Parts: sequence; structure tokens; C-alpha cells
Amino acid sequence: MGMKIEKAFQVKEPVDTVWKFLSDPRKVAACVPGAEITEALDSHTYKGSIKVQVGPSVTDYKGELRIERLDDQTHEIELVGKGQDVRGKGSASMKMSGKIRALPDGRSEVIGVSEVNVVGILAQLGARVINEVSNKVFEEFTANFQRQLQQEHAARLKPSGLGAAPQVAAAMPQPGQGTPVGPKPIKAIPLVFSALWAGIIGFFRRFFR
Amino acid sequence: MLQKTSPEIGGMGHPVKRKEDLRFIQGKGNYVDDVHLPGMVYGQMVRSPYGHARIKSIRTDEATKLPGVLAVITGQDLEKAGLSWMPTLFHDKQMVLATGKVLFQSQEVAFVVAEDRYTAADAAELVEVEYEVLPVLVNPHRALDPDSPILREDRDEKTNHIFHWEVGDKQATEKAFQTAPVKTKLDAVFPRCHPAPLETCGCVADYNPATGRLTVWETSQAPHAHRTLFAIVAGLPENNIRIISPDIGGGFGNKVPIYPGYVCAVVASLTLKRPVKWIETRSENLQSTGFARDYHMTAEIAADREGKVTALRVKTLADHGAFNAAAQPSKFPAGLFSICTGSYDFSAAFCEVDGVYTNKAPGGIAYRCSFRVTEAAYLIERAMDALAYELKMDAAELRLKNFVPPGKFPYRSPLGWTYDSGNYEAAMKLALERVGYEALRKEQEEKRKRGELMGIGISSFTEIVGAGPAHSFDIAGLKMFDSCEIRVHPTGKAMARMGTKAQGQGHETTFAQIVAQELGIPFADVTVEEGDTDTAPYGLGTYASRSTPVAGAATAMASRKIRDKAKKIAAHLLEVGEEDLEWEPGKFYVKGAPSKAKTIQEIAFAAYTNLPPGMEAGLEAVHYYDPPNLTFPFGTYICVVDIDKGTGEVKVRRFVAVDDCGNIINPMIVEGQIHGGLTEGLAIAFMQEISYDESGNVQGGTFMDYLVPTAVETPTWETDKTCTPSPHHPIGAKGVGESPNVGSPAAFVNAVVDALSHLGVRHIDMPVAPWKVWKILKDKGAVE
Repeated sequence: MGMKIEKAFQVKEPVDTVWKFLSDPRKVAACVPGAEITEALDSHTYKGSIKVQVGPSVTDYKGELRIERLDDQTHEIELVGKGQDVRGKGSASMKMSGKIRALPDGRSEVIGVSEVNVVGILAQLGARVINEVSNKVFEEFTANFQRQLQQEHAARLKPSGLGAAPQVAAAMPQPGQGTPVGPKPIKAIPLVFSALWAGIIGFFRRFFR
Repeated sequence: MLQKTSPEIGGMGHPVKRKEDLRFIQGKGNYVDDVHLPGMVYGQMVRSPYGHARIKSIRTDEATKLPGVLAVITGQDLEKAGLSWMPTLFHDKQMVLATGKVLFQSQEVAFVVAEDRYTAADAAELVEVEYEVLPVLVNPHRALDPDSPILREDRDEKTNHIFHWEVGDKQATEKAFQTAPVKTKLDAVFPRCHPAPLETCGCVADYNPATGRLTVWETSQAPHAHRTLFAIVAGLPENNIRIISPDIGGGFGNKVPIYPGYVCAVVASLTLKRPVKWIETRSENLQSTGFARDYHMTAEIAADREGKVTALRVKTLADHGAFNAAAQPSKFPAGLFSICTGSYDFSAAFCEVDGVYTNKAPGGIAYRCSFRVTEAAYLIERAMDALAYELKMDAAELRLKNFVPPGKFPYRSPLGWTYDSGNYEAAMKLALERVGYEALRKEQEEKRKRGELMGIGISSFTEIVGAGPAHSFDIAGLKMFDSCEIRVHPTGKAMARMGTKAQGQGHETTFAQIVAQELGIPFADVTVEEGDTDTAPYGLGTYASRSTPVAGAATAMASRKIRDKAKKIAAHLLEVGEEDLEWEPGKFYVKGAPSKAKTIQEIAFAAYTNLPPGMEAGLEAVHYYDPPNLTFPFGTYICVVDIDKGTGEVKVRRFVAVDDCGNIINPMIVEGQIHGGLTEGLAIAFMQEISYDESGNVQGGTFMDYLVPTAVETPTWETDKTCTPSPHHPIGAKGVGESPNVGSPAAFVNAVVDALSHLGVRHIDMPVAPWKVWKILKDKGAVE
């Protein structure tokens, strides 16, 4: 099941700062709920995982993320990722492009376009649930992105220049560290309930047309 | 003519209330999931998330470790027992649990058995399957492309082509087309849909090691055939297998095939020596069990300028999914699709069908339909409308001009069927009158001037039901006769058992009424039992509207055997010769002396207490009925719709259904069947589709996406009837349960197309969802 999600959001920081953040997939991945980068294969290829929980069923996608295009001039990045659930419940692939635009007031706008293709249990739930889930994921992503960017920016502005983005760093696997505690999966079940509730309300509305 | 019985006897034609409803409305039915046995454990399927993938490994250790888990069965385990594949009902085989490749999403991969259902479900989550994802084929039109993947590695033929089938006179048809002044062509898809019965499929398999007997409670429309197939496939002695179909919550063809879940439950019970229950979830039912239709059809009609049809040419691509599991008579790869000349007197016709494999669930079952009759009826009724537009002729007038006339029956169709009886004109005229056709056309004309959208759709279908004559009809080799055994007890009450199995049709009432009609025993005194292979005589089951045409006939014939014996006993009791006796329902009396009579109850008592010398005791009979021909019910449906231009929503304002199913056993049950079938037809026409995306994901796999109509969406049905008895059926009946589902989709779509015809619209594929209509209105510039 394929879908295209286009979203834009604004941040306070200037374009260059945002670009430094956005052009590092490790930092971006740390903002995606349920996602983590586990290994850098080279400067453009990473191994990672993302967990999505729908009801009792947790889908744990593991796979690769590759930077297809990185343009420092236009501030555009294109990422391609694909993964399979570790227990064989399905697979997902995505193509994501991000672009930053300077706003007149010195702030920046991040424009993201994702094309996601899901195969398996998640895809069977139907478009309306998937859309809700992806909206929720994006909402959390935006909040994380803004918060972490802000923290990093603030840290960089400190005279010492030390301790850049402690939270982001914490999410990264460190050499010599044991198995990192994985990120919490995206919980889609409350969304399923809200979708169902919308359905129930819709059902009763039919009586009062 | 049949003698009308008293209301107390309640024979044919009495609208008596359904006996079975007493328990159903109290919630006291007994369905498979109501079966609880001591020591019973539960099975859960692990299914493929992919439409096409190679299994690299299956790891079951984590699942096995979970407390309460008793076994995890994989395809490799079944392979050792020679059970990883099973035969389908149509010259093919199907994986029970996948080995090698999976071929459709939700395909069965492993079977987990645990002490309770929750543990089984949890353990199924822990089974780790590693897949190599392969390119997916979901579009049947691409099945034969050289760059498409070959799906079935197990077959010698390295192609996705399953069969080519043709019938009719190709040359005569070509010739008629060459000279015809008017030709019309229609491309129509009958989309993949699913019967979605209220109760999903399931079973309880109970192998008793002490007796060596296997009892399987199963949601089966054909318990006897299943017993034989279990015996052949699993190599068990047939006398040690007992299949019980208890109450069944709707089947509609979905419960004809044998599914991997049944086989796995049986294997698990044989292995664990405990009863194993397996019940599908709704999504499992929609995604993996027998779908219907998926026919991609082209019809061409040749006609003269006055609108007289001369020839029909049909070419169809049939999408059978991953395995050819079509449940249909083995000589007919496209079922009875060749009924596609319908109610019209074509002089030549040619029909060809090609079947292909795709990465979709297997099936091709007859959803409330006698083996592809629905596809055929839809195609010809849509094509006749296309011809009417071509000729600028009224759709009703065109049909009346081309009906097989009443005097031409029995009618031999150019595709080889002999229609038993019909009076198409009478049914149509009644429907036109009931709906007020002329006034509606005037209203439509006025509304068009005001820019309002209103349409009238007609469908004058002919069915072919009651399979079928042993000379050409069999399922997996078993001839399609059916049976009835009647035992009249000493007190005059009776027990009747059939080889059929009702799933909501009301057999406990209608078959009792046939016995009542033939023997005069009140229907209330006749208990009908079906579905237990230990007690019922062998039969092929209930589907394809065959119960009344075949088992109903067997019931009448068995009753008549009993009446023949009863007459001998009556003669003995009345001390007269048999030739001196007259029958009226319920008693024999002496000609000219009606007071000298013996009731059937007195005769029954005598059969056990006071027999003529030398006569065998008891009053019972069994009959296996081989029908001489099929029966051909028909009717005319007229649908009136209004379309909301703003939303594209179609509102069915009126629907008049005139049915002719020959002699009626219970008018109330017939009406109920018609209401139900029309509602299902409405759902198919406007709401339902099991579609797949390019990656092979099922898009109609839950009730959120596969819609079922409620009372809110369902319009008021106006029913009526004509009666043209079947000349070869013992009680002149034809079968009716499927007519409304067969005949109505074309009426709905014809009405919508008619509403939009002035905009140049000639066809819309089902389901006619509001967005499709709205898009057409937008494209045609009818809305802003």
C-alpha cells in the first residue's frame, strides 16, 4: 500500500543551523518515534530500525537507510529506506525528501515529502488508519525535531561549545556500550480506537440524515 | 396441479413460520464456536504478510517455549505426512501450510496450538518467518506477459495460464457479425467480492484414540463430500469419520471448499489426541477464504436495425488467484457462465474463457449463485442496455422484442442448455406495470430538463440452477444427485433427513412442508435434520440453489414411496382393493364412500402393529434423486435511482422484483430470500470489492473497507411473482435463493448508467461508489 505524505513546518532557527541538523540522518532518525540508527555502514548508508505497534502486534522493521542526494546549495536531502519486520510480518520502504526554505523573518520552513510503501499487517488495516498513524508520527516527529534542534542550537551558542545535543547523542549507539535500550514503539492502538470511534459516530449519524 | 392442503397440514404454498427461528431468536442456535468439549485446545494460523515471497526459514522455538503452547505445525511437518498440499475442488492442488513460496497475502504458513485461544494468538506472534520478497502479480491482464513472474513452480506448465474453455458455434457467430448492420461492444469487470457470511469458517476436530473415530464439527455446506475428501486426502477409513455441520450462520458458497484450517485442526487432533478448535477471525475470512467473481468480460451483440438480436460473442479473463479452487462441477471450468445468452433468442453465440493465476487468495466460489451465473446475467443484461443505447431504443422494448417466446419451451440455447420453462414477457409486463414504467420515463424526461439525475434500470435475467444431472455434473467426481430419507414413526410423526445442509435457508420448514404436501402429515409433526454424516443419507450439499430442485425432489419422491406403501396398508385396513382407494392429503378413503377412510397416522400405527401378511414392517423410504435437467428460474427487476449531483451518491428510490421460481413451497421464505439476496446485490453493486494494491496487499480485508449494508442503506423492496412450474420437477419448483443476487446487480448499474446516459456515459464498473459517480459528473462537466 503506497501513500504520499507532504508536510511543512516552521522552526525558529536559521537555514544553516537547520540544514546541519537535517543533513544528518542519525539526528533526523532520532526524531522519528520508534526509530533508531544502529550502525553507520559508510557516510551515506546506515542500518536502523523502527517499531510500530498496532494493538498487540508489534512490527519491528529492520533495514537500511541511504542518502541518495545531498545538496548543500539548495538545502535538499533525499533519503531511501527499506526494511523488513524481524518476525516476518511485513516490510516497508520509503523515499523521503526534505528541503529548507528561509523565511523573511529569519526563521526557516522545513518541507518534507515522504512516499511510503507498506506490505503486510499494517497495510491491511486500510488507508484511513494508516493515514491517521502517519499523521500522528509526523506530529511527534515535528515536535522532537523542533525540540532537539533548539537544544542543539542553544548548546552551540554557549561559549564553551561543549555538550552538543546531549539527547540526540544519547539515542546514538556508543562504542563499548551494551545493547542500547531501544526506543519506544509508535503506539497505533489509540489511533485505531479513535478511528473506530469516528466510525461509530458516523454510523449513528446515518440515522439522522 | 398440486392439491392445496389445509393450514393445519401446512403443505406447499402456506406461509408458515420458520420452525428454526424459535431457537435462533432465543440465541439458542448451536454453531461450531458453541461446541465445547472436555480437554479442547485452540489453533491459530500464522499467515503471510506478502503476496509473493520465498520462505527462507521458519523459527518456532520462541513460540514453542511460551507456556500453554502444545504444538507449532509448519509446512515441513505436514510434508512428512504427505499433507502439505491438498487437492482443490477443481483439478488443482493447494498448499495447506506453505512450503517454498507463499503466493498470496494471508496465506497459511504455520498452525499454533495452545491450551487457550489467547495463548495461541500470542504464540502465533512469536513465530519468526524469514522471507525473500518476490515481484507480485495482481493484474490478471498481465498474467501472461513475458516479464511477469511465473507463480506456480510446482506445476509442469511454466505459465500462469490455467485453462482455455470455449463453447458455441464460432463460425456461425463470426458470420452473423460480418453481416450485422448493428453491433455493440461492452467491456465490464465483475469485481472480486466476498460472501462475508455472518459466521466465519471454523471447526472442532476431535480424534478419539479409544474408538479410532474422528468427529469434525465444521462450517460446511457439503458435509458428505467433505467426509469423502478427508478420507481420500488423509487416508482415514471413511466409516471412522463423522462430519457434523451444526447450525451455520450463512454460507453463500464460502463454506463449500475445504480450507487449510480444517486440515490443520484435524492433523493437530490426530497428533495431540485432544479436540482442537479453530475459528477464523473476520479478517482471515475476508482475506483467505473463497472469494467470488473477478471476471473481466467483453460482450458483443450483433443485431438488425429493428433491434432483433442475432449473435452474441463473449470473451472473458478469469482471475482465479493463487490456486484454482473454484467450487464447481468438474466439467465446467467457467461454471455455468455459458448461460450468458440469458432470456434472449440468439441464433448464434460463442463464448470463451481463459483462467489465470495471480497473487491473490484462491477461490472462485459461487457466491449466492449457481456457478458463474451472476457474472453471465450481469454481462448480458448490461450488454442489452448498451445495445438499446446504440439503437436509441427503450430498454424494455428491446428486451420484449428479443425474449425467448413462451411457446418455444423447452428451449435449446445456442450454447447448449435446454431451458425447462419460462414466460419472460409475463414477468416483465408485471414488473413494468408495478413500477409504473411509462410515468417514470416521463418524469425522467422532465427532470433531465431541470438538470436532475434520475435513472431506471431493468434486468430480465434467466438462471440455471439445481445441479445437476449425473451425466454431466459432478464435484470432484461425486455425482450431483441429492437425497432424502423419511421415517414415519408409529404415532404418525415423521423424521426426514437430507444430504443437503441449510445455512439459513429454512430447510427445517420447507422440507417439512414438502412431506406435509405429499403425505398429509402436519408440517409441525415432521422434524427435518441435516448435516450429520452419521445419520443423513449421502448428498452433495446446499449451494447453487440446488436444495429444492434436487433434495426437494428427493423428499417428494421418498414421500411418494411411503404413500405407495401406506396405500397397501390402507387397503388392508379397509378391506378393499388398492384400486378402490382415493388419496387426499392426510388420508386414503374408499371411492364413493368418503367416511370409510384411514388417516396417515392410523396407517403409520398399523405399519408397526397390524401389517398385511408378508409385508415388511415400518414406514420409511429413502430416495436418491438424479434430476433429468436443471431448472431455469427467471424474473424482471426494475430499479429507480436518484443521484445527488453534489456528492455522487446514488439513492435507490424504488426496486420492483418480479420473480418466477415455479411452484412455491413457502411464500414467506421465498420473500425473505429475495429481500436478502437483493440486499447483497445492492452491496455488490455499490459498496463491496476485495481489491489488491500493486504490492499485493488486500484492500478489502476488514469490515472498515469491505462494507456490509445495514437497514439504513437498504431501500424498500417491492416483490411480486409469476408462476411457471418446472415441467420435470416432481413438485414443479425451481429454486429461488440466488435469483435476487444474480439478477439485481445489473438492474442497479443499468439504473445509474441510465441516469447518466444523456452525458454520454455507457458503463461504470462496480462498485458504483459515490466518488466514481462524482468524478464522472465532474469529467462530463455536469457539476462544477
